[in-house]
Amino acid sequence: MDLVTGQEVLDEKRSEDDHNISSWFTSTKNLSEKPLAKPSSSTKRPASSSMNLLEDLFFFFFLTRALITHTNAIMEGDQETEVYTLVARKPSFDLPTACPNCLPAYIYLKLAQLPFELAFNSTFPDSDELPYFENGTYVAYNNEDGGVIEKLKKDGIVNLDVPLQTLPEYLSLKALIVSWLGEALTYEIWVGTEGISTSKIYYSDLPWVISKALFYKQTYMAKNRLGITKETAEQREKQIYKRASEAYEALSTRLGEQKFLFEDRPSSLDAFLLSHILFIIQALPETSALRCKLLEHSNLVRYAEKLKAEFLEASSSSPSPPLHSFPSSFSRKGSKPKSKPKVEKTAEEKKFKKRARFFLAAQFLAVVMYLSVMGGGSSDELEYEDEDD
Amino acid sequence: MANPAEKPDPNLSTPKIEPEDEREELEDMNGDEEEEEEYEEEDDGKPQTREDAIASRIQAESLFRRMRAAPVPVRVHDVIVKGNEKTKDHVIEAEVDVVRQATTLQELLKASKVANFNLQALDIFDSVSITLDSGPPELPGTTNVVIHVVESKSPITGQIGTFTKAEARSSSLEGSLKYKNIFGYGDIWDGSLAYGCDHSAEVGLGMYLPRFRGRPTPFTSRVYLSNQDWLKFSSYKERALGLSFGLIASKYHELVYTTAWRNLIDPSKMASSSIRRQLGHNLVSALKYTFKFDQRNSSLRPTRGYSFISTSQIGGLAPDSRVLRFLRQEVDLRYAVPLGFYRAALNFGVSGGITFPWGSGYKSRASYVPERFFLGGNLSPVCSLGGPSALWGFKTRGLGPSERRREVQDDESSDTHERDFVGGDVAVTAFADLSFDFPLKWFRDRGIHGHVFACAGNMAELSENKYRKLTAPKLLETFRSSIGAGIVVPTSLFRMELNYCHILKKQEHDRAKSGLFVTFSTS
Repeated sequence: MDLVTGQEVLDEKRSEDDHNISSWFTSTKNLSEKPLAKPSSSTKRPASSSMNLLEDLFFFFFLTRALITHTNAIMEGDQETEVYTLVARKPSFDLPTACPNCLPAYIYLKLAQLPFELAFNSTFPDSDELPYFENGTYVAYNNEDGGVIEKLKKDGIVNLDVPLQTLPEYLSLKALIVSWLGEALTYEIWVGTEGISTSKIYYSDLPWVISKALFYKQTYMAKNRLGITKETAEQREKQIYKRASEAYEALSTRLGEQKFLFEDRPSSLDAFLLSHILFIIQALPETSALRCKLLEHSNLVRYAEKLKAEFLEASSSSPSPPLHSFPSSFSRKGSKPKSKPKVEKTAEEKKFKKRARFFLAAQFLAVVMYLSVMGGGSSDELEYEDEDD
Repeated sequence: MANPAEKPDPNLSTPKIEPEDEREELEDMNGDEEEEEEYEEEDDGKPQTREDAIASRIQAESLFRRMRAAPVPVRVHDVIVKGNEKTKDHVIEAEVDVVRQATTLQELLKASKVANFNLQALDIFDSVSITLDSGPPELPGTTNVVIHVVESKSPITGQIGTFTKAEARSSSLEGSLKYKNIFGYGDIWDGSLAYGCDHSAEVGLGMYLPRFRGRPTPFTSRVYLSNQDWLKFSSYKERALGLSFGLIASKYHELVYTTAWRNLIDPSKMASSSIRRQLGHNLVSALKYTFKFDQRNSSLRPTRGYSFISTSQIGGLAPDSRVLRFLRQEVDLRYAVPLGFYRAALNFGVSGGITFPWGSGYKSRASYVPERFFLGGNLSPVCSLGGPSALWGFKTRGLGPSERRREVQDDESSDTHERDFVGGDVAVTAFADLSFDFPLKWFRDRGIHGHVFACAGNMAELSENKYRKLTAPKLLETFRSSIGAGIVVPTSLFRMELNYCHILKKQEHDRAKSGLFVTFSTS
């Protein structure tokens, strides 16, 4: 659901609630009026007193509910979106988001069963900031603090890895998935398949001129990142594919027929691995070498299909699954953009530079004014000439 | 009977008898330098005797008497161009075409004046002179027009100036190098570098052609790379690489086509939600039409007259639907009334603008932030013609719809969040300004004068379905206004105002303060 439909849903809900509030008040009014309307109808005295108590309780309950809903409606109107939103690149290839950097964050939130909205940004294919997670004025960018997932863990919004971080296997598996498999995927998208899939992933909403220029730019940057030059191209390719094969082998052995990588609880590594497998199977062409290597390990494919069916397709139909695994109060521990001493220094520097600029501008002004004012009425003459016309 | 076209020679000595006005006309006609003694040079070089001088004077007098009495019929037989080594003949002849249509000597003199002015305006000649020579002897009543030009020796010129760029909404310093007449078509090539007060920079290459494929108006084209820094106000930086063509440029009409690749980025990572959604790349392909009618007597200190400007822009002119689609209309009306004492004048101005996206789903789509309206800044509303832009007392981008920026937990920062000004889709401003001279002569001589002013303005958002929430009473209720008085100092580079502004009404998050305020404007 993108932002527009989300906003419309909120609008409808708000108008619904407004309507409901008035109907609740009338219903409560009716409830309170009812005993008065029929004062002598009941002969069962003890039952009537308990009925009165019940009706009072109902009245109190409805009133509280009406107040809460109305307050929520007001708060939503003021702060627009206090819901969680993940902004990612557009969907394609039957994936909720076709970008291989955005998919892990999406899957992680789905594994954690955190309700969130999905919004799209389709005009910034070369940005490191996407995907980003926002909630009101809180934003977690992907190019800060090690990525969106790390930032969400650090800021206490959702952390699936709490009991696993101490395990030695956790770090080694993470390194394997994030670096070896990550590199293999980057290579395959930009070099191995020559960017066939990139037009649908990144450039579907950009005009041809811009998309061509950005495609060359991103291919060049990917090659730089992977250390691929004319001399090292072949050797690097062999190394990348060999590492990918070994990683698949290791992961396949580690996984076996388990549901998740670690016992029976989902973790961020499952999000990374699942996103990697789904992307390769669905977004890359059948001629891709990496895809062929992956398909040799059928248990990895089955693992992906099972998790996809359970978390991605099922949760898209159910409205709001039970919330757990995140604290009710957020402890946002200092997501500082810079370290303290650096901030002080740059603030002082900025002040000094500003003052210097003002000083220079004032000097220049004084000189110009002196020249013009003391120079006599030359500009005045021009104005008089204009008047004569 | 003397040939009526014979030597209207301005070099006659002791021109006591010659009528004053006709002598002036002839002098003007021949440009600033080099009065040609064409006719006398064509003689065999005999030293002019006193008798010859008297004879020529008598002839000239009789000619002038005839001209005063009745129109002297004459026909232009030929236009001869001399002195052009690089410049193509047809370029010069196109500018002096008006001369061929003259039927009397009086008309011919006027037409020659116009032709001289046109050639000077090409800016590629050091001097231009036009003389009238007698036509071939077998055709009486004809004349040859001889144009003598001296091409510029140094084709490269440089200049530095201050301008107010409409897009950047601030004053900028621009330096440019011009290379003139490389190919002989009157072409002027220029490279320029501009730096604005708001840390905006632009580098560009332009070309100017006075005649392009026989079209009557000049043709200009420009390639530019610009960088505008709005981080402090709206948390984004705008980079643009563009190509623009000036298709029509006449006194009242201007038509420009621009195509540009614009990129919005946020290196500070502090942007608010609306700005975050707009970051990225966009292709703009837009046609802009400006109708300008300016009858004021001055653009820096108007004391009489009125002006009207209407700018219409349509973006998305490309077969690709992914190109940015928007409509933009700005209107500006000014009126100046002289009051008669101390050169005082009352200036009124009203300006408004509206922008809206078009295409499928246009009501719910957001308008593009750089195309929105932003009010406020160090410009004077009296001088900034062309749409709502400035209000006295309000800082750059200091009023209008705003949003909270990203929250960052920092021990040193205060609890209050700073806000991004996201601009409005509709804006309207109005001002009234009374300017007057000071009684002291010292101030009057230098053009320093005072003024008292009042202004009001407002903005609102329309896109993303926000037009549903907008009502006229609400718009009137939230109008911002200010009054003040100040001194205006016109310098050679710009017009500076030192004002004291008092903010009468502002909204909660506006950046405006009562106090001293300096503005800079260029014409």
